Amino acid sequence: MDRARALGRLKFSDSGFRVMTLASALIVLVLLAGVAISLFLGAWPAFREFGVGFLFSDAWSPPREKFGAATAIYGTLVTSLIAMLIAVPVGLGISVFLTELCWLPLRRPIGVAIELLAGIPSIIYGIWGVYYFRPVMQSYIQPFLIGTLGNIPGIGFLFQGPPFGYGVLTAGLVLALMILPFITAVSRDVFDTVPPVLKEAAYGVGATTFEVVGNIVIPYTRVGVIGGVMLALGRALGETMAVTFVIGNATKIQSSILAQGTTISAMIANQFADADPGLFTSSLLALGFILFVITFIVLAAARWLLASLEVKA
Amino acid sequence: MTNEAAAPRPAKAPNANKDKVVIRGLNFYYGKAHALKEVNLSLHEGQVTSFIGPSGCGKSTLLRVLNRMYDLYPGQRAEGEVLLDGENVLSKDLDLNLLRSRVGMVFQKPTPFPMTIYDNIAFGVRLYEKLPKSEMDARVESSLRRSALWNEVKDKLHASGLSLSGGQQQRLCIARTVAIAPEVILFDEPCSALDPISTAKIEELIDELAGEYTIAIVTHNMQQAARVSHYTAFMYLGELVEFNETNDIFTAPRDKRTQDYVTGRFG
Repeated sequence: MDRARALGRLKFSDSGFRVMTLASALIVLVLLAGVAISLFLGAWPAFREFGVGFLFSDAWSPPREKFGAATAIYGTLVTSLIAMLIAVPVGLGISVFLTELCWLPLRRPIGVAIELLAGIPSIIYGIWGVYYFRPVMQSYIQPFLIGTLGNIPGIGFLFQGPPFGYGVLTAGLVLALMILPFITAVSRDVFDTVPPVLKEAAYGVGATTFEVVGNIVIPYTRVGVIGGVMLALGRALGETMAVTFVIGNATKIQSSILAQGTTISAMIANQFADADPGLFTSSLLALGFILFVITFIVLAAARWLLASLEVKA
Repeated sequence: MTNEAAAPRPAKAPNANKDKVVIRGLNFYYGKAHALKEVNLSLHEGQVTSFIGPSGCGKSTLLRVLNRMYDLYPGQRAEGEVLLDGENVLSKDLDLNLLRSRVGMVFQKPTPFPMTIYDNIAFGVRLYEKLPKSEMDARVESSLRRSALWNEVKDKLHASGLSLSGGQQQRLCIARTVAIAPEVILFDEPCSALDPISTAKIEELIDELAGEYTIAIVTHNMQQAARVSHYTAFMYLGELVEFNETNDIFTAPRDKRTQDYVTGRFG
């Protein structure tokens, strides 16, 4: 009798628990849908006015009420691309060093330093970028690039123009620094999951560290590594403060990556305070919606990639 | 050339009276722990030597000295001499990768690489030899045949090595080791994760490989030691207690501890 009552009580609390957790999970979906819908509704006037052309127009003129997203989309993609091109190889390199080569007593301090780097608020990267990194770019790095790569036919156009210090490349480099710790920390953790005996087996057939990493460690952990890279890409696409500080906020597309530009998030952060209700505000919301979609596509692509890798493995 | 690629076998005919590996005054330390104490022993060429003894007696450690696997871990060090064809393996200037291609190792758990069955075998070969595709195919096939796996995998060479069963994976690892034509093969409890049928297959295989390769096998299974090896070494607490022909170890042990162990009184 007692047992039946106890069981009945358990059953009740169990179903209560189920309802509570279900509700928590549903809130996420509701919030996501709410954000997407409200963004879309806010953006609707702009989409209605400019149509698909909004995506491809590089116009951004509040007085004439002409708006287009191309400049911001271009800047977002290019800064993220630069950041990934630098941060992925360097981050993987650091984690290989930490897991395979580093002198044992140094592993922990370097690992902790990287985690701290990941915890620095983006505004700090922003002011560091403006006050310390930009002058270095302006006085040394950009003139050097203009003088060397700028003269190479074919890719020279990417490195031309006056050295402002501010610009797409500067923003990309700051972003690279910001996402580096993510890539490093995640890949270090997954590299550590490779069974030592598997590495021993590879060393056992006479492979060098480089061959073991390239043929065993990275293939074994590719799913985790890609996850970390995508997390970092997500951050790079959406990063606002640091980029706004150093990109120059010019609303036009230029071929040189030394030139000033803007990104979706930098544009929104810069302009929302001045935006009149109406088409201007709606265009900013439309930018937000596009960023939302880009991020969603990146995540979906990552999922798809991971799924197809898992099938093969 | 084609023949050579197809049949990865050691260059010279083995001579059972020759000592392939000579271990002299070997001491091994895990940090401060003294794991091997003054071990002296020789592995005869083309013969199977098994190492038995209770857990922690140092038999796996001894194996890991022979191909310097311990070098991957800071804090582990060996003192003494280990001569492979007269050359000191413990010498600092030794090319480790070359050593490991001469002294292959098969581990306790199967360790297929995260790649296809074909590449699992070709991987090690590619590190040292640039073979045209047809010769590589022949090498892969002959290695798989030698490890009695060919018939089971010939139709799925490009499936992942991880898709095989445990016993097949272990034979794949043996094929991979054989493919680079080592001179010595170390087996570290190769059957401890396998079922009896797979175990029997691996033992048969070791039997076949003996003669061509100098083999050292660590095992917890005394019947296995008795079945597969010509010589047996009994180790206890880091010391080599007794080393003799397998028959003598099991039928006429000289040391009391050996007798107690092989008759199952401890261990």
